[in-house]
Amino acid sequence: MTTTTPSTLNTDRGVRRYGDIRDLLPDVDNPTPLVRVRRVMPDPGISLFLKLEWLNPFGSIKDRAAAAMLAGLEERGELAGKEIVEASSGNTAIALAAMAALAGTRLTVTIPDGVPEEKKVLLRMLGAEVWETPDDLCPVDHPKDGAIALARSLAASAGGERFVTTNQYENEDNVRAHYETTGPEIWRQTEGEVRYFLAGFGTCGTITGVGRYLKEREPSIRIIAVEPQRGHRLPGLKNFQEAKQPAILDWDVVDHVIGVDDDDAYTTTKRLFREEGLMVGPSTGAIVHAASLLGDEHGGIAVGVSPDGGLKYTSYFAEILGDEGLPQI
Amino acid sequence: MTQTPITQTEITPAASLDCSGLLCPLPVYKTALALGNLQPGEVLELITTDPGALEDIPAMSRQRGDTVLAGEDRGSSQRFLIEKGTQT
Repeated sequence: MTTTTPSTLNTDRGVRRYGDIRDLLPDVDNPTPLVRVRRVMPDPGISLFLKLEWLNPFGSIKDRAAAAMLAGLEERGELAGKEIVEASSGNTAIALAAMAALAGTRLTVTIPDGVPEEKKVLLRMLGAEVWETPDDLCPVDHPKDGAIALARSLAASAGGERFVTTNQYENEDNVRAHYETTGPEIWRQTEGEVRYFLAGFGTCGTITGVGRYLKEREPSIRIIAVEPQRGHRLPGLKNFQEAKQPAILDWDVVDHVIGVDDDDAYTTTKRLFREEGLMVGPSTGAIVHAASLLGDEHGGIAVGVSPDGGLKYTSYFAEILGDEGLPQI
Repeated sequence: MTQTPITQTEITPAASLDCSGLLCPLPVYKTALALGNLQPGEVLELITTDPGALEDIPAMSRQRGDTVLAGEDRGSSQRFLIEKGTQT
């Protein structure tokens, strides 16, 4: 009997075979899908496509920023021997936790109020340490950014030996990720026909990076930011009356801001589930609702970000559903 | 804040928390966690080195309904005795 040595099977995207989960991270040759929203968008003048970022390997658009920020730390020699600390509503932390573990280190995450339990459990499953942080943690000076302040103090305390922070709100690698991947993907996938791009205000890496890239290609493309109401329940999005504007936000690339309240966001999310078969998170509902408000005078192809999927929000959805979908006897 | 000298004979803390080297709001966060492990009326001894604690700890205590029984600014460090309230 002869023995054979198994051949080495390297990553081959053509047959969707991967030697490492990180090989699934998106780029212009391996883009996340664009899917048309046909039923929920009432305006026939606008073709809305959603960019399904929840099909990234760690489940959200934040895979891009996390990968770029980690690469930046490693390139600058800042990661060596340190753990990572980041303030995150969950998605950045999930991607960072997975990739930190793969890089041989660990994540501590400061997580703000209003993040669903599902995300916290996923983070702990990935080996992260989760510090739930009230928004009004700082009793003297308290913009609604307690998690950010806590991450900063963890990184700086005791001489800063233990932690390095990726600091997604001020990290240009966050913008670079979208300038180099999300923006070029959208341009190529729409064959340069995109006329509107919609994304939420959050860390603002997406809107700044994609907006900058698309406007360089075609200055007339309208970049539309979606802002939630004050006291909202849309994790990942920020209202700038109650939260500090991130340093990486470039207002020069933002043409319009559309406000969306929770009711419209969740109602639209439910419609996306039922009418489009799109199992999205609530921020996607906010973005699609904003797209529906663009008006009749506009036309052409719009691309909206679908930052994450709905599976991480089932506890929230259970609340809004009440007894809907249960037998009424 | 009130800078009341503390003597060990006055109060026996139920727990002690050393936040030396930690910058605010980290001491605030850890203090809230430590108070969560105490019963109402029990006292936490807290040591800090961030001068911001002189404002933050009393403000946090008012917000939570706890009482700073005494606080001492030692220049490079601060020491507080915080009594847990009934509402926290």
